[in-house]
Amino acid sequence: MISVKNLKKSFGDLEVLKDINVEIKPKEVVVVIGPSGSGKSTFLRCLNLIESITGGSVEIEGKDITAKKTDINKLRAEVGMVFQQFNLFPHKTVIENITLPMMTVRKWKKEAAIQKAKELLDKVGLKEKADVYPDSLSGGQKQRVAIARALGMEPKVMLFDEPTSALDPEMVGEVLEVMKQLALEGMTMVVVTHEMGFAREVGDRVLFMDEGYIVEENEPQALFGNPQHERTQAFLSKVL
Amino acid sequence: MIDFRFEIIIEYLPFFMKGMLWTIMMSLIGVLMGTILGFFIALGKMLPSKLLRLPFIWYINFFRGTPLLVQLFLFHFAVLPAILDSVNPIVSVVVTLSLNSAAYVAEIFRAGIQSIDRGQAEAAHSLGMNKIQVMRYVILPQAFRRMIPPLGNEFIVLLKDSSLGAIIAAPELLYWGRAATGQYYRVWEPYLTVALIYLILTLTLTYLLNYVERRFATT
Repeated sequence: MISVKNLKKSFGDLEVLKDINVEIKPKEVVVVIGPSGSGKSTFLRCLNLIESITGGSVEIEGKDITAKKTDINKLRAEVGMVFQQFNLFPHKTVIENITLPMMTVRKWKKEAAIQKAKELLDKVGLKEKADVYPDSLSGGQKQRVAIARALGMEPKVMLFDEPTSALDPEMVGEVLEVMKQLALEGMTMVVVTHEMGFAREVGDRVLFMDEGYIVEENEPQALFGNPQHERTQAFLSKVL
Repeated sequence: MIDFRFEIIIEYLPFFMKGMLWTIMMSLIGVLMGTILGFFIALGKMLPSKLLRLPFIWYINFFRGTPLLVQLFLFHFAVLPAILDSVNPIVSVVVTLSLNSAAYVAEIFRAGIQSIDRGQAEAAHSLGMNKIQVMRYVILPQAFRRMIPPLGNEFIVLLKDSSLGAIIAAPELLYWGRAATGQYYRVWEPYLTVALIYLILTLTLTYLLNYVERRFATT
């Protein structure tokens, strides 16, 4: 599904990703953990080229995303992304947030887009909020709308960049619940998070990143229960 | 002030009205052209390449950094005569005002666009929208709301700046004020009347802009 080889990313002199290699299989839920500054968000942002790549390659379904002939907008439509800060469009209602990309990128007719958007809102439990503006929503509701918006493009992969880090504690659960549901439906997901419970319960595989490398990767039980690397042990002893 | 001669005002009132219509017309076209042009100059100034940005930067430097009156002379006596067969002062004023206000509007656009959180463009791009779609559906509607107050300010300045047209005999409002002064050797009657009319125009514009601002704030 996703194949990352020797991925490197620098901001000026600062080398954030040094050598990332990973294969992600269809329907797999991969959770990325690690200390802040370890490059996990940057890694995620490279997967849909929100961040340009300095070196190495990323293939999604066999297509090299940095190749000149790759239509970057088409690629991004296939790769949904959910941000820490939600990034809903404040001048659009909830349902318009979802229908706008469907109509502009996927060229859906308005009626069909609205129909589909309503189904998605129902799925994330926000059917009654269709016509309000994002301002009047709680953080958890905003994030669920953001997930619905990304799903509107019918992506093949979903990337989550610390989706619950900006939420009040009591709202984390409702967002994780939606993500769990998605995972059960077989969505391929890459999730950067500090929610170790989620990683343990939903993740098929956990990657531990530090200083621009994937230091250790394993199934959640093994990685959390018996971390091999010293840095993994040190990190986990602080967060668990 | 005791012998304020109202009959001068009465006599010139039709001319003042005619002049006012020209003032309004020139300002409207100036605002419209300035806004369209300003938008593209703003885009030009935000180009990634330093070299390509340069002409836009210097366009703004020139029009903001030199007196409008000099620009008006330059276009009326040199640039436009070289392009057009016959030069009309109204056209000269409209062209100069448009180009001049474009420089200011460009900076208003740039500030507005750059004030929108980066996450907005990132989210829109991550959904597969192209640059034009991101600008049109996500950035500009939000930026425009923030641009209304400074744009309104610019429109008011432009309306008053159109009075410089009097110097090259464009028959706008101040031109007729000067004409009346010339005929009667009276300063206060014409100029105070003209000033009052400008005040009425700018106040109307202010209320109009407040209305627009309120409307955009609620949607």
